[in-house]
Amino acid sequence: MKVVYVDVNRCLGCMSCQRVCIFHQARKCNGQTPNIWVSVDMDRRKIFTSTCLQCRSAACLKACPVGALSRDPETQAVVVNERVCVGCGVCVIACPFGNINMEPRIRVAAKCDLCGGSPECVQVCMAQALHFGDLNELAEIKRRQVRDKSRTTFLIRAVEKKDVTSE
Amino acid sequence: MKERTVVSNGTVKTLCRMCNTRCSIDVVVQDGIMTDILPGRGNPVNDGRICPRGKTALEHFYHRERIRRPLKRMSDGSFIAIDREQALDEIAACMADLKAGYGARSVGVWKGEGVGFLQQEGYVRRFIHGFGSPNYFSNDSSCFNGRYLGNRLVTGFWNPYPHFAAARLILLLGSNPPVCHPPFMKEFADARSKGARLVVIDPRLNPIGCWADIFAQPRPGTDGALAWGLIHLLIKSGRYDRDFVDRFTVGFEKIAAYAERFTPAVVEAESGIYADVVRTIADMLIECLPKVSIYMGTGLEHHENGVNNIRAITILSCLCGALDIDCGLYWPEKMPLADLSPRREQLLSGPRPIGADRFPVLYDFTGEGHTMTAMDYMLGLGEYPLKGLLITAANPVVTHPDTLKVERALQNLDLLVVNDFFLTRTARLAHYILPAETFLERSEIHCNIKYHRVYLTRKVAEIPGIHNEYRLWHDLAHRLGFGEESFPWETEDDVNQYLLAPSELSLEDLEAHPEGIVYQPVRFRKHETTPLPTPSGKVEFASRYLKALGFPEIPEYIQPLHIREHSEEYPFLLTTGARMTLFYHSRHQNIAKFRLIHTRAEVEIHPDDAAGLGIADGETVCLTSRLGSIEVAARIVHRAELRRGVVEVYHGWEDHPANILTFGDVNDPISGFPLLKAVPVRIEKKSFQLDFRPEASGREDDLI
Repeated sequence: MKVVYVDVNRCLGCMSCQRVCIFHQARKCNGQTPNIWVSVDMDRRKIFTSTCLQCRSAACLKACPVGALSRDPETQAVVVNERVCVGCGVCVIACPFGNINMEPRIRVAAKCDLCGGSPECVQVCMAQALHFGDLNELAEIKRRQVRDKSRTTFLIRAVEKKDVTSE
Repeated sequence: MKERTVVSNGTVKTLCRMCNTRCSIDVVVQDGIMTDILPGRGNPVNDGRICPRGKTALEHFYHRERIRRPLKRMSDGSFIAIDREQALDEIAACMADLKAGYGARSVGVWKGEGVGFLQQEGYVRRFIHGFGSPNYFSNDSSCFNGRYLGNRLVTGFWNPYPHFAAARLILLLGSNPPVCHPPFMKEFADARSKGARLVVIDPRLNPIGCWADIFAQPRPGTDGALAWGLIHLLIKSGRYDRDFVDRFTVGFEKIAAYAERFTPAVVEAESGIYADVVRTIADMLIECLPKVSIYMGTGLEHHENGVNNIRAITILSCLCGALDIDCGLYWPEKMPLADLSPRREQLLSGPRPIGADRFPVLYDFTGEGHTMTAMDYMLGLGEYPLKGLLITAANPVVTHPDTLKVERALQNLDLLVVNDFFLTRTARLAHYILPAETFLERSEIHCNIKYHRVYLTRKVAEIPGIHNEYRLWHDLAHRLGFGEESFPWETEDDVNQYLLAPSELSLEDLEAHPEGIVYQPVRFRKHETTPLPTPSGKVEFASRYLKALGFPEIPEYIQPLHIREHSEEYPFLLTTGARMTLFYHSRHQNIAKFRLIHTRAEVEIHPDDAAGLGIADGETVCLTSRLGSIEVAARIVHRAELRRGVVEVYHGWEDHPANILTFGDVNDPISGFPLLKAVPVRIEKKSFQLDFRPEASGREDDLI
């Protein structure tokens, strides 16, 4: 099945994905919170982006006591039926990654639904860190990165990130 | 008046123009309505992706506030809609009167960013020179030209878009490419995945700084010291490209002698970047040369010595041997197009525009006037009066330094015509407002010099009653009697045909390839066989041209004013112009979606500075420079995000014009650029401002 996956090494933290996701949610009148999150840690200078992995054995789906979560037959995404959801938040507790959350205005579960098969976040990821495809493509990308890097950088002493400003 | 699309159902492939990058897009049309914008494929510029700004372009086109009819300002200040023919007749009559009374040079044009460059700039230049006035102005007086001149003076050309993906070391100075040039991100990521290093130098930590190997926060305006420090270490190491220097450069001894004083300790004292970090960067340069990409953003050009700092950095690239290689200072070859702008030789023999005497270099290289000097001419303080101004898609009241003076100057005009999409602050001062077309309504030729590609953009839709810019200049020129010679073509398609004539391509070829056609294969190291377009034909480390004009021939470093004369009254340094992802200068603030993200104007301030002033996050503060003051909410940033003592306000806010604070009279002597990145200001909690309100006078005790 196809999912949105993040090649974290390519993410520069531009936030475009998060922003179009907000626009997309706003269009559905679902509120204004994204379902993909770019987190920039200024202290450690780290960027981390995550979104729902549409797990094969989804903890959120299993945990939902009212059957509000289901698999979309077309995209295989785990989707929320907002009319059934009671807003208990058990799915949020169950998800090991924090990739499902409560929509703050109407207090129902909110998560990535792959935009029905054409995820907008992927369209706007100009760094090409986000892809829509089989997760094994990511594995291949990572193998390629190791291969490419091993020719060049392993010979070069890595420069440690440090605070480089006086005062 | 209903919008019409060229096809009623399907997809139209064209180029986006929500910024100047011009990515390929597919516009989806359903039942005569444009419904979505998808990334276009096959164009290496965007490689199948677009940015959120481009994705939202339809909200710009269909915006309910768009000006759809010409407006005329009445004596009471209100606007009434008038017929286009009447508006053009009246404007032409007024221009003719001004020409008869004060000479043609009393009328100028000002081309903004909103409609684009290249062809659009050609129309405007053609129009005003056909009218007989040399006074062409543009937004380039305070953006782009500083870097353009800095590079042109050294190498004779400037291509702002190197092929970063081929670099082993990318050095970014004063730039935030993920926000201002989104397509760069792919190339950076490609380079990084092949093991390239990244060094970011900026007083403000952007996410890309988090992604870098080295991030350093210099004091604003001291990039020249860093450049000279690196030149010093590079020459000392003996690892610079000696063969290149011997064969293709002039003035090496002069820069070698000058660089000696810039030891790492001196660089640290000037810029605040630790000496060992300067050495580390130099080591990285030495290790990776010639495969280095050194890219400068606008952060460098808005200083009193901006051009020379830029020249010093360009020289550094050349010493690394990065001239005309893929990732370095790659020398693009132009598409053979017919001339639209009047020829430079004709231009230089005629009367010189406003500012050409003060900033001759700017005029020699770009053939345009200096907007900040033009303000004096509008106010009657120049050599002759500037009485009429036609502004197309520019908003100088917001984006030009010294807002209050700009307002006074524009209000002093006998004729102000603004051609724009929306009722901007500038348009509100106009006598006539004309509706402008968006990129979706016109067909024009676009060249990308990085990939040597030429494109034809497609007209996707039209709004009856709104005419394209070509028709505007065409119709006005015909009314003023020089239409036959300057604008003989009936439609934009005819112009496109004329432009393509010297090439082997036809409009049909370009229509068949919306992803662009390579007009010439990209070649490198051309300077080995062809002289560079500088006076000496070589890379000019020392410029005799500048020496003849009375400037130092090498790009000497001058300590910024704020270090030389630290002001107790204005202890903070305001930097403006850091880009916001969704806005483009003053544009797009009226797109409702974007305001979900960029909700309000803010001044970014370091937590220690805020604590010292007793300012809480979100509190309204008053920023004051010697020219004026604005009130804006404070945003206390992470302590790593800004250098202490530096505050930042976005330059494009319509309702909080940061340019009220900036100076139009502190200029780089070569480019004439204003000081925008280190403006001395003071910050106060808003409560201290209450005593300026008339009803509060003499009652301070009650209020505090």
